[in-house]
Amino acid sequence: MRSETMIATKKISLTINGKACNGELGQTILEIARANGIYIPTLCYLDGLTAWGGCRMCIVEIEGSPKVVPSCATPAVNGSKIITNSPRLQDLRKATLELLFSERNHICPMCPYNKGDCGLQHQGYLHGITGIRYQYLYPALPVDLTGRYFGLDHNRCILCTRCVRTCDEIEGVHTLDVANRGIKNLIIVDMLKKFGASETCTSCGACVASCPTGALFDKAAAFRGPLASCQQVLTTCTECPVGCGLKVFVKEDRIVSVWGDPDSPVNRGHLCVKGRYETWAEPRERITQPMLRDKNGKLQPTTWDKAIAAIRKAAKDAQKAEMAMLVAPRVTNETAQTIKKFAGKIDRIGMYVAANEAALCNKPSFSADALRNLEDADAIIVVGAQPSRDNGVVAARIRTTVRKRGAKLLILHAHKSDLDKYANVCAHAVSLEGKLWDRVAEVLEGAQRPVLVYGLDATTPVGMTVMERLIRIFENNPGGQKLVHIGLPVSSNSLALAGAGIGAIENIGPWLDAKPLKLLHIIASDAPDGGARILEEERVPELLEQIPCVVVQASYRSALTEKAAIVLPATIWCEKSGTITNFEGRKLSLRPVLPVSGEAREDAAILENVFA
Amino acid sequence: MNKTRKTTKKSASVSTAKAPAKVRVATMWLSGCSGCHMSFLDLDERLVDLFKLIDILFSPIVDTKVKDMPQVDVGIVEGCVNNTDQEHELKMLRDRCKILIALGDCAITGNIPALRNQFPLKDCLARAYEQAESNRISCIPNDPVVPGLCPKARPLQEVVKVDFSIPGCPPDADVIWYVLTELLAGRTPQWNEKNLRYD
Repeated sequence: MRSETMIATKKISLTINGKACNGELGQTILEIARANGIYIPTLCYLDGLTAWGGCRMCIVEIEGSPKVVPSCATPAVNGSKIITNSPRLQDLRKATLELLFSERNHICPMCPYNKGDCGLQHQGYLHGITGIRYQYLYPALPVDLTGRYFGLDHNRCILCTRCVRTCDEIEGVHTLDVANRGIKNLIIVDMLKKFGASETCTSCGACVASCPTGALFDKAAAFRGPLASCQQVLTTCTECPVGCGLKVFVKEDRIVSVWGDPDSPVNRGHLCVKGRYETWAEPRERITQPMLRDKNGKLQPTTWDKAIAAIRKAAKDAQKAEMAMLVAPRVTNETAQTIKKFAGKIDRIGMYVAANEAALCNKPSFSADALRNLEDADAIIVVGAQPSRDNGVVAARIRTTVRKRGAKLLILHAHKSDLDKYANVCAHAVSLEGKLWDRVAEVLEGAQRPVLVYGLDATTPVGMTVMERLIRIFENNPGGQKLVHIGLPVSSNSLALAGAGIGAIENIGPWLDAKPLKLLHIIASDAPDGGARILEEERVPELLEQIPCVVVQASYRSALTEKAAIVLPATIWCEKSGTITNFEGRKLSLRPVLPVSGEAREDAAILENVFA
Repeated sequence: MNKTRKTTKKSASVSTAKAPAKVRVATMWLSGCSGCHMSFLDLDERLVDLFKLIDILFSPIVDTKVKDMPQVDVGIVEGCVNNTDQEHELKMLRDRCKILIALGDCAITGNIPALRNQFPLKDCLARAYEQAESNRISCIPNDPVVPGLCPKARPLQEVVKVDFSIPGCPPDADVIWYVLTELLAGRTPQWNEKNLRYD
């Protein structure tokens, strides 16, 4: 990529429909036409994917040539004269559309993907297609509903392969492909599997977003109305530290679908399963009212006033030294400021993070332009991280860089993942002696733009040794190439929160046990597990039993809220405002998408209510 | 309406020399839900203006029953061809009209009735008459009086030549009005993304 930008681009000029247009050598006719505001109909073309030239909607005439050419796949030539809308082209496009309509079930009354969402319908309207001259084939094609979040209805497929190219070029897993020939052409999942049984599909849903018809569809969005009728709200995903931009489609105070924000500098429209589906298409038991534990030990709904009065009473009965606060590593920067404001009233405040994450957060270092560096890298070394599981968009970037740009991939001291199969060197358990390091040095030799992605397990003794060795390899590298470090935590805002002075706790058990507590306030916020993960830590369940007043401020019911004396309902990602800071150090905004559910309040507002 | 129609017809036949002859129209309801005819009736008060220009001589929504289909200028057909009787009627209409208009998605694409085309006819009949939970007497109708189902439900253009199509499920009354008035004015209706709807 870098080398490409070094080459000076050569300007060309051509005439499209009589209009003088300028472009650069190497651009296609379609790109130049679009840049000059000239519309050419397309179906299989999608900005950001390689051109396919399959649908033949974008055909144009070039003066002096008897042929029509697909403008999406034809490089523009200096001085050429292009015609995009002659009667001949219109007739050819109409015939193409009629053939598309005749092949499978493209009958709009039966399809929820009409009224502005469907590219095929739109082209039918534009070209004034009222009926077709060909025989309808009515093939009996299967519908795959085995996927957790989306379905594939072959009857509505026009074989534009946008899903195939998206899966291959954006997510990088190449789950989808095309099988058979001619009339038997079919989009397939892996080698003729179903989505539910696919070993490679990451459920990122990029294929659904790229489908121009209703062939690939979100199950949760089906029959909630066309996306074109929805309001679109841009916000930020808070499921991991990548901080992807979200474009949320809302109708009647319900989320209809979540797409990536194409203008986000972070994810540029791509999302992983967490951001795209898990936050809204999974059933979770929401807490919408404050709750107090009654004499029989049962949680009973109560009012905010009573709940706050109960906390204040408990706080009054306790010394400052007997009060502590645990913060989930996903609250906003603004909430962090509010927490700091009341820090004087509480003995100790700590952030509970994932195992081995504390060391990564407590020396917070942001990796500026990490995703761009990954894209430009010619060698990527992953140590102690599991991007496929924790940071799907980072994994997608690694896959595409390795598969499409030929970068080397080394996976060291990490759990098994789907990245392993693309790796030049893959050692889950690293031995510090032997041939492994010769091989590592051999693969990395001559690397011009090496990138080191290190995760939680890089902070373990073995991980740290591996890191040291790698750094030494590059020190000894005669080329002296600088190794770019990318620290990849798993918790969404842990770096910024630690930077704001809310230190991550290494072991919660000893932290709780340091001094006897009377009041423990846990801000679980909208963690999908309701904060229940801390119960898995050593001795934590029994220690919580000993604290007279455990307040849990959470959005979802969990084993942790079942242990609380007082439960306060917190807003979730799509009701929040504020900012989070991603692992690149970008400050990203959250915007409320839906009205607040029930009596839930924002984390900071709750703290103001309780401690002010 | 029936009365008015009769009188106008009479007056039309009497005074052909004075006023221009009305356009003679037949409408037909094949395999469809009658929604397109309902949409036609949604022309509401515009029907009064329309009937100054056309005469409906044969239709499921007029009261006069004629034994033999008359010669007409325009035939308007809702629904697709599902059985042998419908095929016979449609071919007859095509013979006796100058312009044939397919009204609505069933007539143009087969739409809902054509969903059965994905399955063999035998299976469709068995599902409806033998396996259906509500059907206590398992018997596929075999009386020769009942018209036999065609192997496939077909849109009109696969059986006869169609001159114009008005898509929609059902087509909007405004669209029907636009097409009919354009044709009556001797113009070809122009379609674009503003007036075209498939659903």
